[in-house]
Amino acid sequence: MSSVLLSTRDLSLSFGGLHAVRDVTFEVEENEVFSIIGPNGAGKTSIFNLISRLYDADSGNIEFEGESISQIPPHKIAQLGIARTFQNSELFEHETVLKNMLIGRHVHRKTNLISELLFLPGVAKQELQFREIVEDVIDLLDLQTYRDQVIGNLPYGIKKMVEVARALCIQPKLLLLDEPSSGLNAEETEDVAFWIEDINQDYGTTIIMVEHDMNLVSRASTRVMALADGAVLAVGSPEEIQNHPEVLRAYLGD
Amino acid sequence: MRFIFKTAYRQDIDLFKHTGQRFWYGSLLAVVLAGPLFLDSFYLGELALVYIYAIAGIGLMLLVGYTGLVSLGHAAFLAIGAYVHAYLLSKGWPLPLALITASLFTATVGALVGLPTMRMTGIYLAIATLAFAIIVEQLIAHWESVTGGYRGMLVPDAELFGLNLGDGRPFYYLCLLVMVACLLSALNILRSPTGRAMIGIRDSEISAQSMGIDLARTKSIAFAISAGFTGLAGGLFAHKLGYLAPDAFTLLTSIQLLLMVIVGGLGSMHGVFFGAIFIGLLPQGIAIMRDTLPPVIGQQPGLEPGLFGLILVLFLIYEPLGIYGRWRKIRQFFEEFPLYRKATHKRQKSYLRTERVR
Repeated sequence: MSSVLLSTRDLSLSFGGLHAVRDVTFEVEENEVFSIIGPNGAGKTSIFNLISRLYDADSGNIEFEGESISQIPPHKIAQLGIARTFQNSELFEHETVLKNMLIGRHVHRKTNLISELLFLPGVAKQELQFREIVEDVIDLLDLQTYRDQVIGNLPYGIKKMVEVARALCIQPKLLLLDEPSSGLNAEETEDVAFWIEDINQDYGTTIIMVEHDMNLVSRASTRVMALADGAVLAVGSPEEIQNHPEVLRAYLGD
Repeated sequence: MRFIFKTAYRQDIDLFKHTGQRFWYGSLLAVVLAGPLFLDSFYLGELALVYIYAIAGIGLMLLVGYTGLVSLGHAAFLAIGAYVHAYLLSKGWPLPLALITASLFTATVGALVGLPTMRMTGIYLAIATLAFAIIVEQLIAHWESVTGGYRGMLVPDAELFGLNLGDGRPFYYLCLLVMVACLLSALNILRSPTGRAMIGIRDSEISAQSMGIDLARTKSIAFAISAGFTGLAGGLFAHKLGYLAPDAFTLLTSIQLLLMVIVGGLGSMHGVFFGAIFIGLLPQGIAIMRDTLPPVIGQQPGLEPGLFGLILVLFLIYEPLGIYGRWRKIRQFFEEFPLYRKATHKRQKSYLRTERVR
């Protein structure tokens, strides 16, 4: 049976008088694709920023693999095996796709500064190992053509792919996708559904995604959580959520 | 055009990407090694100065061009390196040991300066480093027992195994050796995780953090390496000056160093050398110009700093990628000759950007 990978308890966050996240409690099981939906401003991205520790929660707790991560500095999150993408791509604009993905391997660095200054054989060996993993991800997401291109020159859809690729280079246990299909056309969105499945099955990565495209959500996800005004409306299978009266009210009004 | 056929991942790691590069850089090295055979001591001295600038430039480029942190205080690191080196020499330390100690000491100071400036970027960081430079300048001026204050401090002759490295050929080779060593270490850093972490911080702090990069640590390391190289340059610069006084390391020196990396081309090691040649030769150019210009302009007291500032501004507006960027465009023009399109290098603006969390 599957076990709980990530759980939050009574998670709250407010910016001044605005309650972005209110008492959010949910559990994500290993190997599932968990989607978070909700109208604009429902607190979806805020939850991501809380998990990746960019925000400090006002109250509540987040546990990953049974350990609390509420007090861990943000750069340690990746080491635990949590990777994320951003809503509008946050890539290293002036570097090539390859370099971007190699930065994703940073958490697996074992060399120290002195050996890097001298580029000792150990560093070179590590670089080659990094490269193998990177190439593996490139194959999975079909990015071969873009390997040596600078990010700034790439079309938007490819940038989004590269961001996912970079996150995968961490070899995460949990991948947070912030609106993977925003700004993509119908065909590209179709592809997103395929590679979410690939990542989930080939790498066994658990995925939490924030998404607006209900088609994609119902195709790709095992469970869905609906949010409105920072609070949880309902959690359940995609069909349940689509027909849930509370959810319909939040989207369509009374 | 050259198409490189890649058959091993190793090729992407190697410093030279193809045999052509190996040949041209090899030739360049041969030319500079043979320099003393056909140059007289004045030009050798000028060239040695260019190398010293380049060493400091490599350090500053790592910080400004690769980590994206602007420093207006690098004259202070240059000064610290120079004074520590001269002080240790006067205490009878051998040259290599004094030089390395001066560099390590400066690197430590750099790391310490890096720590409190961690949360600052852009203009605020520039001002903080400027303040640091002023503090160091005052410290040097008033700590008379060590630095000699405004009276100055005589730099002992450079000696190695009883051989006087003074000026001329031996000193030229010393500078060349140190410069090549610095360049290689900088290139090594840039092809390993630490260098990529710096680049990550430059392009997007927030996603660098999500990739597991410790911002504080990496920035501090960048400051330390940058200061270490600059300190090394300072040690050599001390010999070039012969006599150290606080007014050799002023705000103008810091601006000169920054001008070097910006005019050369931010984000490329080639740029450092273009910049170093430019900065090394500009004062000579200005001196020649002074004689030909009408006295009203030619004899203006602030001509040199004024021109430095003007050139910096012009480069920032018209060629932000510096001399190296211009050189690449020219090279591409010839490589693609009849097909070159002017729009290739038009900068595309991207308006999409994640709302910054911090």
